[in-house]
Amino acid sequence: MPYAFTDILADARLAARALVEFGQHVLNPTIRLGVTGLSRSGKTVFLTALVHGLMQGGRFPVFEPLATGRIARTRLAPQPDDAVPRFDYEAHVRALVEERRWPESTDRISELRLVIDYQSKRGVTRSLTLDIVDYPGEWLLDLPLLTRSYPQWSAESLELSRHGPRAELAAPWHDYLATLDPLGPQDEQAALRSAALFTHYLKACRDERYAMSLLPPGRFLMPGDLAGSPALTFSPLKWPLGGTPQADAPPAGSLAAMMRRRYEAYKDVVVRPFFQEHFARLDRQIILVDALAAFNAGPDAVRDLEGALAAVLECFRMGRRTWTSALFRPRVDRILFAATKADHLHHASHERLEAILGRMTERAAERARGAGAPIDVVALSAVRATRETRVRRGREDLPCIIGVPAAGEVVGGEVFDGTTEAAMFPGDLPADPEEMFGAMPKFRGLANAAPQEADYRFLRLRPPKLEQVDGVAMLPHIRLDRALQFLIGDRMP
Amino acid sequence: MKPDVDEHHRRPAAFRLDDPNVVVTAEAGQARLARGTVRVMPEPEPSLPAAAPALTLSREPGREWERRRGFPWGPLFWSALGGLAALGIGVSVTRLIEDLFGRNEGLGWLGTVLAAVAGFAFLAIVLREALGLWRLAGIEKLRERGAQTLLSDDRTAGRAVVRDVLALSRRTPRLARARTTLEGHLDEIIDGADLVRLAERELMEPLDRDARRIVSDAAKRVSVVTAVSPRAALDMLFVLATAFSLVRRLAYLYGGRPGTLGLIRLMREVIAHLVLTGGMAAGDSLIQQVVGHGIAAKVSVRLGEGVLNGLLTARLGLAAIEVTRPLQFAALPPPTLGDVAGNLVRGHKAGAEVAPAGNP
Repeated sequence: MPYAFTDILADARLAARALVEFGQHVLNPTIRLGVTGLSRSGKTVFLTALVHGLMQGGRFPVFEPLATGRIARTRLAPQPDDAVPRFDYEAHVRALVEERRWPESTDRISELRLVIDYQSKRGVTRSLTLDIVDYPGEWLLDLPLLTRSYPQWSAESLELSRHGPRAELAAPWHDYLATLDPLGPQDEQAALRSAALFTHYLKACRDERYAMSLLPPGRFLMPGDLAGSPALTFSPLKWPLGGTPQADAPPAGSLAAMMRRRYEAYKDVVVRPFFQEHFARLDRQIILVDALAAFNAGPDAVRDLEGALAAVLECFRMGRRTWTSALFRPRVDRILFAATKADHLHHASHERLEAILGRMTERAAERARGAGAPIDVVALSAVRATRETRVRRGREDLPCIIGVPAAGEVVGGEVFDGTTEAAMFPGDLPADPEEMFGAMPKFRGLANAAPQEADYRFLRLRPPKLEQVDGVAMLPHIRLDRALQFLIGDRMP
Repeated sequence: MKPDVDEHHRRPAAFRLDDPNVVVTAEAGQARLARGTVRVMPEPEPSLPAAAPALTLSREPGREWERRRGFPWGPLFWSALGGLAALGIGVSVTRLIEDLFGRNEGLGWLGTVLAAVAGFAFLAIVLREALGLWRLAGIEKLRERGAQTLLSDDRTAGRAVVRDVLALSRRTPRLARARTTLEGHLDEIIDGADLVRLAERELMEPLDRDARRIVSDAAKRVSVVTAVSPRAALDMLFVLATAFSLVRRLAYLYGGRPGTLGLIRLMREVIAHLVLTGGMAAGDSLIQQVVGHGIAAKVSVRLGEGVLNGLLTARLGLAAIEVTRPLQFAALPPPTLGDVAGNLVRGHKAGAEVAPAGNP
């Protein structure tokens, strides 16, 4: 990757900001906690449960400062960035507790600042500021674009769209691309049409049946206020010029030149600011992964998820926190990979889920370890919607979970109405994580078999019915406290 | 691995709880259900299948001796000698009672009763000693298992360890509240290592505080007595007595109730531990020791000796804490020499009238 002048400029700006923030942090220790996750991985629920647990003093036995009573109180404080909407924690809790529905999926960025007043183990009263940021998971997929030029990205996207279940979904777009001449004169209508078909293909890939994850650019799926602008009106092309992509440029005024310009504009307008504002300054990172949706869909989806995670993780700067890094180049010094929705599995299978996630993030984990950043893998559930049970059917003894499947979920011809409780057995996770990545024999998912043939079936569940203590509902969870202890426990000595 | 997860793959399934063919029962009842009926048994969250064997294994006494290699000549000798002595005592007592009967019947009966009482008391003592040794071995095993769990992060093992620690602390009324809290957390989904750390934080923290105070008091007492005692032999004796009572108190504090034999064994372990670790004390404490001793020695020779003896006692106490504590130091910081002997050095400089800093 050529180290462009803009990158140097961006780095200088980051360093300057880090210097200013360092000064503030000496007086007022702050952790910027990055909650990262692809769409539907449960970021909003995680944040809501985290804030609620800290504010109301939830049941967190493993989170030492809270369990030993060192935390005097946690309060909301005005957030640092005035231009970013506030994370509407109260509304999310209301949705969970009163309406018993999950918060709506995030379509814009929001932020919240928590201040934790606590006593150190030596008895000194201190406070720790925790900045948390919520944003649509789709945007995350843009980060890998930063290191790719338009020809590289075109080639990769086209290559990707020719494999597995994607090939069928991308067929109309491929057909249209074949009629275009990249070196011909620029044509707004052609760009519009190809962008529309490309977007359609991306959206189709996201369907529950395929559950693909690696679908950049993210704003095509979640355009926000940029919908229809030229920065979103482009698509990959068959790069016409051959040879090394960077060496030769298409003639000015050609379709290829226009597409390339727009791709660069997209990076400048959308990706870079997002990265600068929210990713380059993080101290701690939790990466939420919904592996269960990929298990539902099949081995292709699992491998796709692996690819997406690897691409995203490339963008983080990891490493041990040192004086110089704190001054000039902020780094992520602790990373937690969390397989969310662990409550959809009996706890006996949690270790296997963790093993699969560990296998999925192996490469990133190695890099982090090499850089001296501790990492951990955990199966968690921010809001636990199930209880556990055993079911005896004939000779079989199945470890099951009991919950309320969401309205419209179907299993074996049975349609659930969203009020009936059911005991569910989602299928046995393999002891060898390799089996989930398409090693022989392939497991069957929705993408490559009929629904009744699938090896795994994780239903969407409704939030649990909660009992209220003094008007405050406690959200049950699995290992949320362990996650907290790992992420911020060491910063509260 | 869990025994209940089969190797062959089982199909996903879902059962509506309001289905007439589905029966929800609390436990695996004996009543046969009709064919095709599905039985749902909600678990008392989460179940504990493999804890029982692990528990009985760890409680087995005397496993310690299995480690020795070769024929145990020493024990054989001592047992034979002991048997001879017992026989001798038995014969002489019988003869004594016969003599007594020969003189006077009432005296004979009195002797018989006394002998019976003595025999009974002896039996009780032996039982108590054995129990003490047995408990000590259990604690040692528990500490080992706790350390293993911290590494393996095995949930079942962690739960078994915490249950054993809870059972051990059952006699400490101060921990009632902590015990209740911990028992409440036992039913949640928490991983092994976290569970052990949680137990350490909840149960050991108040005990650690007391342990520090006990060691610090003993060190202070030894240093003062050494400084004022007229004879070297006298304070030697005092140091020895203090050391034994210190180890004994710590063992009681952490839930082990060793008898005399147990105490001797514990003392041996403490000294072994001291040889392993204490000889090469880490940086700060060594400097403190030398400097503290030097300053005190300048003031007076006897004072210097007092400080030295106090430091030795403190070090012994630290080793004793490590040996008697049922869980390793993992979540909580281990006490340092500065914690338990810091006031010794400072206290002597400021004068002996410094109030005993024991009340936290």
